[in-house]
Amino acid sequence: MKGYESLHSFYSPLRISTRPISRRRCFQGPRHTRPFSSSTRAAIAAPEIQFDGDASGRASLLQRARIVPASPSYFTAKPEFTDSLLNLQALLRKYEALPVLAPGHAPRVAWKTHAQFMLTSTEPVRVARYSRILKVLHRLNYIHPSLMPEEVAEAMQVYKRDVNPYDKVKQPVIIDQSGRARGLGRRKTSSAVAWVVEGDGEVMVNGKSLSQAFGRIHDRESAIWPLKVTDRVDRYNIWALVKGGGTTGQAEAMTLAVANGLMVHEPDLKPTLRRAGCVTRDARMVERKKHGKLKARKMPAWVKR
Amino acid sequence: MIIRQFTLRQGRCVIRRNAARQWKRCLASPADSIHQSLQNQLQETRAIESEVNQYSIHHVQTIDAETHAPVETDSIAEDFQELLRQQKVTGSLGTEVAKHYQPHTLISNPPRPSDVTLELLLASQAHLGHNTSLWNPANARYIFGVHDGIHIISLDVTAAYLRRAAKVVSAVAERGGLILFVGTRNGQDRCVVRAAGLAGGCHLFERWTPGSITNGLQILGKCRLKVVNEFDEEIPGFDSQLADRPPLKPDLVVCLNPLENYIMLHECGLNNIPTIGIIDTDANPTWVTYPIPANDDSLRCVQVIAGVLGRAGQEGQAARREAAARNHITYAPAENLKAPQRDTRSKENGDVHADALDAEARQVSRHT
Repeated sequence: MKGYESLHSFYSPLRISTRPISRRRCFQGPRHTRPFSSSTRAAIAAPEIQFDGDASGRASLLQRARIVPASPSYFTAKPEFTDSLLNLQALLRKYEALPVLAPGHAPRVAWKTHAQFMLTSTEPVRVARYSRILKVLHRLNYIHPSLMPEEVAEAMQVYKRDVNPYDKVKQPVIIDQSGRARGLGRRKTSSAVAWVVEGDGEVMVNGKSLSQAFGRIHDRESAIWPLKVTDRVDRYNIWALVKGGGTTGQAEAMTLAVANGLMVHEPDLKPTLRRAGCVTRDARMVERKKHGKLKARKMPAWVKR
Repeated sequence: MIIRQFTLRQGRCVIRRNAARQWKRCLASPADSIHQSLQNQLQETRAIESEVNQYSIHHVQTIDAETHAPVETDSIAEDFQELLRQQKVTGSLGTEVAKHYQPHTLISNPPRPSDVTLELLLASQAHLGHNTSLWNPANARYIFGVHDGIHIISLDVTAAYLRRAAKVVSAVAERGGLILFVGTRNGQDRCVVRAAGLAGGCHLFERWTPGSITNGLQILGKCRLKVVNEFDEEIPGFDSQLADRPPLKPDLVVCLNPLENYIMLHECGLNNIPTIGIIDTDANPTWVTYPIPANDDSLRCVQVIAGVLGRAGQEGQAARREAAARNHITYAPAENLKAPQRDTRSKENGDVHADALDAEARQVSRHT
């Protein structure tokens, strides 16, 4: 019976309201008939008495259980995101005084884009909100690498892409055992691969001779222009595979491919080839057609009303 | 030196060099010649440079190698450690600085309700209202007078209302209520988060999503809840039951900028949730249940008020835990919760109580 009485007292509002708290006299706020609960706010009758409390008079677990938000950011509707933003900001405040690298000298890091971040997150986060996280990350990335704290490195790792493209180092092209140098070139929608070998001036394009592959003389000249401009037409053989696009595109894709192969054999020719326009990829592509026009820019004929 | 340069440009060697270049040009292909001319130019420039450098003074002696020797440091990390060491050694030297306002202390160590004095409020500019033409006449009873065209808020009223609000926060925290701190203006985020952390409540420092209370199922439906015992330790095993429950509503809302949060205050009014707000002379005091007449445009004043209310919540939480340690539960338990089911293996053993109960009993025995 002792247990019953003590349990009853836990749940009677009387016990709580008559507790001898000295400041209660001066506080005349709204008088609630029952204590607060984080669940529904409708008034209900006194709960049933539970008899399964333990022998010492403690109420059972369910009578001591309270439901609370898992995160203090509950009402932001994005608790996980807000918590991680606050964590990063707290880290930054903690390590703000550490020495930093010179502006523009931070290690290049590919952070997750907003779309990539959204794949891992279950909450709807806007781009502007995500950029606030990125801003903190950029600043943390400037901490000097020799003093970078472990926890900062771990926190940043979450937002890094799995593969950092800036870690990639371009492999130098070499001449293989057979003396071939491989070059790749593109123009418009064509792409060409050329193997350049020392020889006596033979050219094969897709298994055909140069004159069979390209009907126009101008295209034939374009295809071996790097050799012509450096006066090495009779010193190298070329075996090329060309695909995509039209004849002009294919011929000019070959220009780049042959130049790249030739530069492997003779790196000193690069300035000459650049002046001849054989090094830079021509980035121009077909301009899209627009509505209200006949082609990309052509206007329909003007008719008087 | 001048004579030497003169010779280089005008003398016999000029003619000789030109002759050599013409001789090579006969043999070279066009591409070769371009390349060659570039090389030649570079060589020429270098030759002239080296000629000139021969006659210039190469080395300047340091004044004194020992006294002006550069500090031997290997790395940034060592420099930084040295800096920290020096700061530690020399930091206590010099004059004693008199007590002064340090902005960060309002966040790191906010004032308690017992620290609220008129001096503190005056120093934090709580008395400055708005231009007299912007006033809301409902605030007449909080206004002390007019100075320089702006209303001056009566600080004794501010202090009294702040203490009353602190008691409300403390009492709600003591009864296990959920307190939400809202401050959505720029710069208010840190004090809002800090106050919520102290009071064991929630914070909101960005836009209030309209409907978070009135349409909570849609907006907060996916946010995780947890079940805790009287010492705020999580009790596992209730996840399936929590998924079906309606989202939580705050039991008290503290709003630091009521002017921008009318929708939230309105939702609170619809749901009978009491609100505390900083009411400047241009705000409507009927929007909130417990107004605190003060300057809501001063960050310092807002930090003082948020800090006091956060400390009040901290006291309330401490009182609740203390009562719990004395076997006295000050809050109503969550309704309609069932004891979590055990897995099949433990059912075979014939044990009636759930895993969670066992774990929880162990935790409590640690406390007592």
